[in-house]
Amino acid sequence: MHYTLDKDEMYEISLGSRNDVLPMRASAMTNSDFKTEHKNAADPIGRLSWHYENPAAEALSFVDTGVPVVGITSNTVPWELIRAAGAFPCVIDSGNAGCTDISSFMEEGVFEKRIRALFGAAISGDLQYLSLLLIPRTSEQEYKLYLYLREVARQDPHRRIPPVYLYDLLHTRSPESYSYGLERTLRLKERLEELTGRRIDDAALLTAIKESNSARRAIRKLLCLRRQEPRVTGTEALALIGASFFMDRADYAHLAERAAQAIEDRPPLPGKRLMIAGSSLPHRRLHQALEKHGAVVVSEDDWRGSRSAGKDIADASSDLLKVLFEKYYLDTPSPRLFPFEIADAWFQQASTDGIDGVVFYLPPEDCVAGWDYPRRRHYLDERGIPHLLVREDAMSISEECRKRIENFVRNMDVGK
Amino acid sequence: MAGKQLECTLAAGEYQKSWFAQLRKDVFEKQRPYAIVQADMPFELFQVMDVPVVSNQWWAAIISAKRLSGYYLDILNSMGFHDGLCRYCSLAAAATLAKDSERAPWGGLPKPALLAARLTCDCLQRVFALWGEAFGSECVFLDNPGATELPPRWWELSRRRWRELFEEHRLKFTVKQFQNLIKALERVSGRQFQIDRLRGLMERVNRQEEYFDEACQMIRSAPRTPVRMHEQVANVMAAQWKRGSEWAVEHARTFRDEIRNRVRQGAAACPGEGLRLMWVGAGLWHDTDFYTAFEEEFGAVFVWSMYLAFGPDGYIRYGLDDPLLALASRTVSMNEQLHNPPWANEWMVHQAMLHRIDAALVLTPMGTRPTATGNRFIERALEQAGVPVLSVVADMVDARDWDPNAMRRKVSEFLTHRVLPHLDSVRRHS
Repeated sequence: MHYTLDKDEMYEISLGSRNDVLPMRASAMTNSDFKTEHKNAADPIGRLSWHYENPAAEALSFVDTGVPVVGITSNTVPWELIRAAGAFPCVIDSGNAGCTDISSFMEEGVFEKRIRALFGAAISGDLQYLSLLLIPRTSEQEYKLYLYLREVARQDPHRRIPPVYLYDLLHTRSPESYSYGLERTLRLKERLEELTGRRIDDAALLTAIKESNSARRAIRKLLCLRRQEPRVTGTEALALIGASFFMDRADYAHLAERAAQAIEDRPPLPGKRLMIAGSSLPHRRLHQALEKHGAVVVSEDDWRGSRSAGKDIADASSDLLKVLFEKYYLDTPSPRLFPFEIADAWFQQASTDGIDGVVFYLPPEDCVAGWDYPRRRHYLDERGIPHLLVREDAMSISEECRKRIENFVRNMDVGK
Repeated sequence: MAGKQLECTLAAGEYQKSWFAQLRKDVFEKQRPYAIVQADMPFELFQVMDVPVVSNQWWAAIISAKRLSGYYLDILNSMGFHDGLCRYCSLAAAATLAKDSERAPWGGLPKPALLAARLTCDCLQRVFALWGEAFGSECVFLDNPGATELPPRWWELSRRRWRELFEEHRLKFTVKQFQNLIKALERVSGRQFQIDRLRGLMERVNRQEEYFDEACQMIRSAPRTPVRMHEQVANVMAAQWKRGSEWAVEHARTFRDEIRNRVRQGAAACPGEGLRLMWVGAGLWHDTDFYTAFEEEFGAVFVWSMYLAFGPDGYIRYGLDDPLLALASRTVSMNEQLHNPPWANEWMVHQAMLHRIDAALVLTPMGTRPTATGNRFIERALEQAGVPVLSVVADMVDARDWDPNAMRRKVSEFLTHRVLPHLDSVRRHS
């Protein structure tokens, strides 16, 4: 197996191990030779893609060496605090949707598939390698996930559920929410110190911040290579960026820099430049479907993609905890972000920055992003930017939807 | 349709209608400021500032009862808001966005001075901001801090030991947000907030809920329930929306007195009462006849819903030296108490036991998914406590997917094939 820039080959890699994304990704890492081969490959693109496909791999290797692993369920957690405490932070992206017990506790159709799969993984023992499962208040569903896991643990103490912790970061922009969030961040610091037995001093925090800033810089380089004259497909880019959530960030930064260098030498990709907005995508199926018809996904309004890095944390600050908190409070996307001017700012800027069209992804399980759709659609209409609404689960796109995508891409004016 | 059995039920309905007519008159003729708020907001602050309040959920229920929900929700969908979005919290906003006041119940909502909501789900800021934009009115949002300490049997702590029940940082944060809300209310009302006035109101709320507590105790201890569930709801909520007002306290007392008289007279809501049912979730506002549909054939009477029982357990606060803090404790965990584990399931079982419940129907509103959380825990807990459960997948305000006959058949089958055999078996063994 070779990693090439050939699109079909890339699809093969993607589909080969991420068919079911959340349900499959944990187990996928154990049984494939080509994956092991590419874990250690010299090619940085191959290695990053491997980590994206095997999100728990690095965490498990840290467990083997005795390093505590702290799982996080989404993006609004100060990764740097965990690192500074001497633990390994890792986004939990490998669920267990097949756990038969889920339906005993969780209402069918009420929770997103991602949350159900996470819940399944936690109650089935799949996450017992975690020293702590850190759940941020990024969405209300995550808060409910926290309450549900606590209750299952209370009712059945023999279940192998990792300890859970709620990082109650609020998102309204008020002085009260700011103070509350800063205080919660301090409490989180204390909890992590207790977990690892290591005091988080400024030196440790600074090292972790510098490490994560280097990863952010590398991500921003990759993002630059997607815009205007894209040299990397969205399908590939999502894996290169997404690997940052599952890897040691110093290693990641090094590999991502090299990947960016390699990509720089590629010729620009032809095709219409699309942006994806709406619900977050824990997989690349929609990117694949769009790019199969000759488009290039150059950005996505998603913490897993174009919005994963944001700005650097001000490492010269005399109050590192404060600037760390502010990074996650003020510069990290979340469905709770409010008011509209703040929540829409990134979308408005990105959708008018060399984009030929926007695809709104609102799967059947959505009950949040749909409130933003008419407003954002109106914004695009006023500027003559074409858009398409996908209301299907991207994991199983129908023929009819594929045809609509094909027509949309074909009929869009290039270079608008 | 079963007739009303309590005089106070008719009085509550009349009061609400004339109150709303007066509100419209005051708003249009005297530019009196009023507010539209989410049901779990601290209504008390609006009361003490003399800013009348229309509850979002109350207005949605009125629209639904007038069979207008399908009309407005279709309009909402045609504007690009897809049909998977929450309906209960957005129906009233949809009626405003529809700009069709001629069709709206009672002439529709006039422009409020303020809209306000607690952010207990990720949709509310969006719904209220859209709504505020449509009216051209200011919105105030209270953020909702998460609970991490949830002691068992919360109802045993909530009245007197509420400081132990809720985490201090959550209460303090909520008080700070109340202070911001008070500033907004001072601005729109031109009045100054007085803490003693709030204390007095909180004391009256306690009195009101004590009446409800007595009513609740009589309902559960009477051999047969003296009042149907949906009449309980009509009376309780009419008073809760105006809690602490003279009318509300007096109405609660009248409600209690009527129940007491009925109990003394041995009057039963359903003379042939054979099965006592529990309704878990918001009311089925578009089909309240559903609640009496099983009396004739099965003697099955809905005895319990959260609306009455939550009054005393959720609202009473003794120790009002810091009334804002006490109010924060009333507000801060309503969502956890009613909809989420461990508090909701624990409380429902406790209530089921107190009310000698034979079976429970649990509403799972797929059109309003955030309010459906916690249901499996509730269902499991009730079943484990020996209460058979039927899950009712339906929306509380949207009748578009509701098949009344099919649902009545489903409940009949549940009573015939699960509940009656279960009770036979229990009786045989005892």
